[in-house]
Amino acid sequence: MNNQDFIRQSTGFHSQASRFRAIWKLIHIDPPLLVGLILLCCFGLFVLNSASDSNAEVVQRQALGMLVGLVVMFIVSQFNVHFYRSWAPSAYAAGLGLLALVLAIGVEENGAKSWIDLPVLPSFQPSEIMKIVVPLLMAWYLASRPLPPRFKHLFFSAAMILLPAALITMQNDTGTAIMVAMSGVFVVLLAGIRWRIVMAGIVALLVASPAWYLFLAQEHQKNRILTFFNPYRDPTGAGYNIIQSQIAIGSGGVVGKGYGNGAQSHLDFIPESNTDFILAVLAEEFGLLGVLFLISLYLFVLVRGFYIAYSAKDMFSRLLAGGITLTFFFYVFVNMAMVSGLLPVIGLPLPLISRGGTAIVTLFIGFGLLMSIHTHGRHKPT
Amino acid sequence: MAGKWQLKDHEAEQRLFNHRLMLAAVLIFLLFTALIFKVFNLQISQYEYFSARSDGNRLHSQYVPPARGLIFDRNGKLLADNQPIFNLMVVTEQVVDLDQTLQTLSTLISLTDDDIEQFHNRMRRNRVPFASVPLRYVLTEEEKSAIAVNGHLLAGIAIEPQFVRSYPLAALTAHSIGYVSEINREELDQLSDADRENYGGTNHIGKTGIERTYEDLLHGTVGYEIVEKNNRGQVMRRLDRTDPVAGKNLTLHMDSQLQIAAEAALGEFRGAVVAIDTTTGGVLAMVSKPGFNPNLFVTGISSKDYNVLVTDEVNTPLFDRTTNPYPPGSTIKPFLGLGGLHNGLVDYEFAIEDPGYFRLPGVSYRWGDYTLRTAIGGGHGHTDLLKSIYQSCDTFFYDLGNRMGIDVIHDFMSMFGFGENFALDIAYARTGVLPSREWKMSSRGEPWYPGDTINSSIGQGYMWATPLQLATAVSIIANQGRVVQPRMLKSIDGVEYAPPIENSVPDVMVNDPDYWRYMEEAMTMVVHRPYSDVFRDYGTAFEAIAMADRDMPYKMAGKSGSAQVVGISQEILSSTDIVVSDLNKDHGLFISFAPAQNPHIEPQIAVAVFVENGEHGSSIAGPIAKQVIDAYLLDILELDFVAMEQNAEPETLLSDINE
Repeated sequence: MNNQDFIRQSTGFHSQASRFRAIWKLIHIDPPLLVGLILLCCFGLFVLNSASDSNAEVVQRQALGMLVGLVVMFIVSQFNVHFYRSWAPSAYAAGLGLLALVLAIGVEENGAKSWIDLPVLPSFQPSEIMKIVVPLLMAWYLASRPLPPRFKHLFFSAAMILLPAALITMQNDTGTAIMVAMSGVFVVLLAGIRWRIVMAGIVALLVASPAWYLFLAQEHQKNRILTFFNPYRDPTGAGYNIIQSQIAIGSGGVVGKGYGNGAQSHLDFIPESNTDFILAVLAEEFGLLGVLFLISLYLFVLVRGFYIAYSAKDMFSRLLAGGITLTFFFYVFVNMAMVSGLLPVIGLPLPLISRGGTAIVTLFIGFGLLMSIHTHGRHKPT
Repeated sequence: MAGKWQLKDHEAEQRLFNHRLMLAAVLIFLLFTALIFKVFNLQISQYEYFSARSDGNRLHSQYVPPARGLIFDRNGKLLADNQPIFNLMVVTEQVVDLDQTLQTLSTLISLTDDDIEQFHNRMRRNRVPFASVPLRYVLTEEEKSAIAVNGHLLAGIAIEPQFVRSYPLAALTAHSIGYVSEINREELDQLSDADRENYGGTNHIGKTGIERTYEDLLHGTVGYEIVEKNNRGQVMRRLDRTDPVAGKNLTLHMDSQLQIAAEAALGEFRGAVVAIDTTTGGVLAMVSKPGFNPNLFVTGISSKDYNVLVTDEVNTPLFDRTTNPYPPGSTIKPFLGLGGLHNGLVDYEFAIEDPGYFRLPGVSYRWGDYTLRTAIGGGHGHTDLLKSIYQSCDTFFYDLGNRMGIDVIHDFMSMFGFGENFALDIAYARTGVLPSREWKMSSRGEPWYPGDTINSSIGQGYMWATPLQLATAVSIIANQGRVVQPRMLKSIDGVEYAPPIENSVPDVMVNDPDYWRYMEEAMTMVVHRPYSDVFRDYGTAFEAIAMADRDMPYKMAGKSGSAQVVGISQEILSSTDIVVSDLNKDHGLFISFAPAQNPHIEPQIAVAVFVENGEHGSSIAGPIAKQVIDAYLLDILELDFVAMEQNAEPETLLSDINE
């Protein structure tokens, strides 16, 4: 009796926290991930406000995009991830169809013919959706096969990854093509692809890249590579962006010039200061501390993503969660490395900080899948 | 399907996945570390460098040019002013269709092909984006309003004011005041580093005359401002400013009323007038005619206008006749005469019997009397020094010069500034030639011949002097030997200017000060000795000056001269142009000072007149000198000579004048 009382008491003592957890679970939200994302969004709006010279319209549109994203995330997380699993092949097929449609009737914007502008529907980029669909498909394909995947499966995986990537490349949007391909590749890597195949792939890339550079690369791509190695070969032309970006970052120092005082951005020396190069604005105004703070926020989200992948209950969920998390990291890292001069310039926004609508929604779909993985019960195979 | 499931080892697969996930985490950690290292390198290690580069991007130090000092005449009338002009500027980045805009503009204002071509040239030069490029300078009021009314059609077109030099008297002061014009490469190279800094915001520099001489005073000190610019070069903020210090305002001795009178007195003739205040040496008037419009040079003279100026070989408007030398002719006779007296070679009694020519002993060549060459019969007969001056007897001076010898002539006349530049601030004036044995040997490589002395004795041959030198020399006679060095600058910013005089010129001392009175009398006779029954016994300028104005209230001392034209190119001489044939006529000269022989008042003004191809000094140059003196004594100083005669106490009058 005493013993039972104790048990009852102890459960009662824990019941506050567990009921709290149960409520979140009921509405399929992972609180740590949500907090991390909201912090990132707020910080992003804060930086964008300065980068856009307090352009209320820009900031409001971005905030609206984020709200829509959160709602989409909430909706996505309501469904068990295995619902998406069953729809993966159909989604993939539909995505390929849309990509083909883009090639036929797409609308060109900023040199890339990647938008579909259908009546009634808002215009959107099918290639964005593929960033989610490709890892979804790869997780679907590999989870039901023995791991590490066999060569035959790898071959089909490669085909499934390269087909949309090729279509997107044909839209003249190499950056997105690489992103889509990488989101699939990450799943393959997590699935335990053998190291010798990975090595062989890396060697093949190394061998192929000079050939690509010599025979396939377009002039502006060659320029970007050359500019990466020496920005000062054309300081007012191809090298201008990266030089000005580095000046902005470097002149920020430890604590930065203060919010709204970034001369490089406010006097329009930083190109694309609202989008691809927004990190330069942040680094100029908040210094090294600001950069470290941003990296901390990203790390928080990444660690949570890893935890979700680690604690997922089946291989499909693990692969999907790991793939989405790594893809998110890849966006973050490539942009930051490019703006600081660690990588060649690729037109890629900084997730949740840069201005941009479609990309935000895509990201939140990914996070919605993560939450779905973490909040739904074990999959009961039918 | 079931078989496949059985093949899967779920635990092994999970281990593999977790292993890979761990590896990915490590990789992420390493990549973020590399990123932080890179950012650390930019923000901490290279902070100073990038901070400086960032400031270099946005902060621009720009010069604020000082306002150039103004130039006034002695009465405060402006001789050089700074006037706003309005220029048509184009910001090409804001122009929608440049060709269309230019087309529209050409219907509104005068826009020549030359303007458009120069505009395109300026555009091609390195320039900051969004900087305005001048299309047309000096818009008229009508053009300004035409552009303002059509402003909505002309995006990117602006009218910008600019202060530029303006010379109200234009051609009248073209040589003496000079002009400013755009600084050229050479001038920039000649500046010291400090000066080049000081000229950072300045487009113009004094090229000639006062503008050049007193460039240092007129220019002022450049100011600076630090502005913040965006990447389109637009000024966003002004952060710091050091005001420029305007140039000094200069007041000259020049009297613009006299300058105008002197120019008018020259009439249709080409020539020069230099008038000096005998008490101070201040240059009252300095006219070279014809002049040119110096305002044309300020905003950049068109090649067409410039060609007109440089190809006019008859009028040579750019040539400054006041400071370039000519043979002085008989105007040197008073100085030679004084030299003869001083050296004891003549006295008041000495006289020659003039046959009309001179012969060196043992030489058959006859030096004829230049002034009598067209006259019929004989010479001047019995001629003393007095008559040799007022009748301008060459033979007397052939003899005197021959007996003085070139060494004595050179030494004596150099005391009057011949062959030298006595002027304190007219450094660009030529020194002419006061010939000597050494000079001839070094410049011609020949020894001095006795015949050279004979020619020099009447101001021909190798003797060359500028109108400025002649005015200076005659002022020394007016001052009875006291030398006042000519000067232009009277005061700086209202403070009387005392020029730093190094090696000041000593006064001319003669053995008997009465020689000065004697020479003044002789020169007064040139103007005032009337016709009489005696053969050739009148002043050479009597008819043209004293007889023409019988009511002349004062006396003036003078000496005429005429000089043969030398150095005209064969091309011009062979021209059939009637005007050109006039170029062979003698130059007429006249030096004078006034009032002369006045017991109540010292001489006030010394004048040298040079009339190119004027033929006669006495009849052409003389009346011009008289007009200038009239203007100064009667109109400007308003001296009442009649009252002076009647008044018992002339001192009070003198003090009136000095007030």
